[in-house]
Amino acid sequence: MPAPDVPSAGKASTPPPTPTNSAPVIRDYRAAWTLTGPALILMVLILLVPVAIAGLLSFTDYSLGSDSFNWIGSANYEKLFTRASYEKMFVATLTYVVTVVPLSVALGLGAAILIHSLGRFGALYKTIYFLPVMATLLAMSIAWEFMLHPTIGMLNRTLELGCGTLLERVWPFLANGCADRFPVWLGDKRYAIWVICFIGVWQGFGFNMVLYLAGLTSVHRELYHAAEMDGARSAWDRFRLVTWPALGPTTVFVVTITCIRAFQVFDTVEAFWPQGGGPNKSTYVMMFAIFEKGVQQNLIGIGSAITMLFLTFVMFLTLIQRWLVERKVHY
Amino acid sequence: MTELSIVNVTKRFDETDVLKGVSLDIADGEFVSLVGPSGCGKSTLLRIIAGLEAQTSGDIRIAGQSVVDRRAADRNLSMVFQSYALYPHLSVADNIAVPLKMRRLSRLQRLPLAARLLPSGRAASRKIEYDVHQAAKMLEIEHLLNRKPGQLSGGQRQRVALGRALVREPAAFLLDEPLSNLDAKLRVQTRAEIAQLHRRLRATFVYVTHDQVEAMTMSDRIAVMMGGRILQCATPETIYEDPDHIDVAEFICAHKINILPVEIADDGQLHLLDRRLELSVVGAGRGVGSLGLRPEALRLAGENAPIRGHVVHRENLGAELFVQVEVAALKERVTLRANPEQRRALQLGSPVGLEFDPAKALLFDPHGKRLRQLRPTFAAKPEVA
Ligand SMILES: Nc1ncnc2c1ncn2[C@@H]1O[C@H](COP(=O)(O)OP(=O)(O)OP(=O)(O)O)[C@@H](O)[C@H]1O
Ligand SMILES: [Mg+2]
Repeated sequence: MPAPDVPSAGKASTPPPTPTNSAPVIRDYRAAWTLTGPALILMVLILLVPVAIAGLLSFTDYSLGSDSFNWIGSANYEKLFTRASYEKMFVATLTYVVTVVPLSVALGLGAAILIHSLGRFGALYKTIYFLPVMATLLAMSIAWEFMLHPTIGMLNRTLELGCGTLLERVWPFLANGCADRFPVWLGDKRYAIWVICFIGVWQGFGFNMVLYLAGLTSVHRELYHAAEMDGARSAWDRFRLVTWPALGPTTVFVVTITCIRAFQVFDTVEAFWPQGGGPNKSTYVMMFAIFEKGVQQNLIGIGSAITMLFLTFVMFLTLIQRWLVERKVHY
Repeated sequence: MTELSIVNVTKRFDETDVLKGVSLDIADGEFVSLVGPSGCGKSTLLRIIAGLEAQTSGDIRIAGQSVVDRRAADRNLSMVFQSYALYPHLSVADNIAVPLKMRRLSRLQRLPLAARLLPSGRAASRKIEYDVHQAAKMLEIEHLLNRKPGQLSGGQRQRVALGRALVREPAAFLLDEPLSNLDAKLRVQTRAEIAQLHRRLRATFVYVTHDQVEAMTMSDRIAVMMGGRILQCATPETIYEDPDHIDVAEFICAHKINILPVEIADDGQLHLLDRRLELSVVGAGRGVGSLGLRPEALRLAGENAPIRGHVVHRENLGAELFVQVEVAALKERVTLRANPEQRRALQLGSPVGLEFDPAKALLFDPHGKRLRQLRPTFAAKPEVA
């Protein structure tokens, strides 16, 4: 292509292969950097630098207030993967995540679909299910503590009502409780983590419901009519053919958010067992471990190591989400 | 036999009557268009036929049987939606296959992988695949089968929607403005394709549109709807040449029809612009009627013509010339279709006289109803004004 003599390229004494575009391209770069610069600087300062510092600290035995520290290599990480108490941490965290995520996503979806099909009382149910999301978990924890009290708690009192009835025969758990006594919900290592899970679901699914409700409003109504004309007779067929695919992007977002929130569970554990992470460390979740090591015991090194692990999980989840969003659910 | 009968259907939404007693009989294999201005209830009627909406009263019969208590899925009708309503997550092939899968496969066979694992499912799936290919071939969208609807143009999407409706053999096809989203060229092309398809399949079609050109070119019969009623249902020629109502005449026209006020005397003699016409009407009372004259019913005449005015606007379409004439006594301009050779005589501002062919004049009573009993009155020679 013959290079036309463009005035802006006049300065260049030895023209590069494409002399006409080079000047504007450089100017574009400069504009791009100027525009993104402030955001980049902020991101580096308040996100990347602290993460990098935590990463470095996780290889030391630093504690707050001391003047010096030693590089101890990967000793902190070795501890994480060998000590029994950290094994309990992983078990508790994974149990929580694996229970809470599917349950609160499924309940959120179910509640959203039911409310969406409801004309009049939809707003009322929406408010009821969303209340726990807005409430302070710490305050709610105290309420739950009362309800779960082994002798005067509402739950065990209710269970006692079932004693001596037919229920006792068909439900061994109740029979055992009546014969002996009902569980000490918060003090029994068999139940503690499930109580935490239950409260997590109770507290979290309203949020998912709201997200799903938003997703449902964007489903094209004519698609349901098309499905009906195509012979989708049952509600399940319509759900499979129209609703579920349309909620794909919402679901990816909801699952990711719920996962991250589940990894972050802390308030209830801290409120119920300020020391030690539950009976026999059965609810010793990651966030609580970070808090205990890094803040209560001032072991910054090991605390940072757990934090790095935590960040890795979250990063991994986010990457999966991005991949899913780009590959699968965008039409 | 799949004739379709709509018997006295009414529909009321909250406080408004959208359909006020619509009756229509559609023969087996007939192509009937529902036309009318926006909001007259065409889509509502179509959705009532389909079973997606419940009528307030009235009956729908398919092949002589009432289907009011059958849900849409059981009426065996196919519908093409105005918005196409394709499933965005499914490929074109899967979209077209949905109606077959829903009807031919059991719930077990529809589970993922089951189609491949169960021997019965495998045979059925192969048949479905074959049928989908046949439908795609007919609509020339074979090369698009693996794409998602989001990757298609409007015209291609429209064909996929048609394919999904055509792939099984329903009692009738219901189409709701399927061409409204296409550009002019594609619309003409697809119009021809649908008409051809109808000829090939010989199926019953109910076609909703508010484009009267579509209705004129494709249909066996046109039902003109207005304000929740069918004003007239007849062949395109009849609707155009012999409308029952002034609204039909005004709605179905390539170029706006001229409506002129005429006085009807006691003896039925007509007077236009204070001039006695060589026309009278039988069986109408005294009053002011309307005379409908299509632009092609008018022709240039000399000084003594009944309508006189001067040219104020010209539209040259090449093969024909439309001229708007302002007449002193009339509020609205009169449009005339002329030959391009007459261009010279029709310069802007030049005075013209217009006369009309009595056989093509449409007379309506004060309520808009057509008066058909026109008689020529042979006056020896009208007295010169
Ligand atoms: N669900 C509804 N609730 C209340 N009114 C409705 C409802 N659906 C339609 N209508 C009213 O019924 C009338 C007819 O609507 P319809 O959709 O049948 O019109 P249409 O003839 O198809 O018009 P268009 O050519 O614009 O598609 C309109 O006035 C509309 O406002
Ligand atoms: Mg419509």
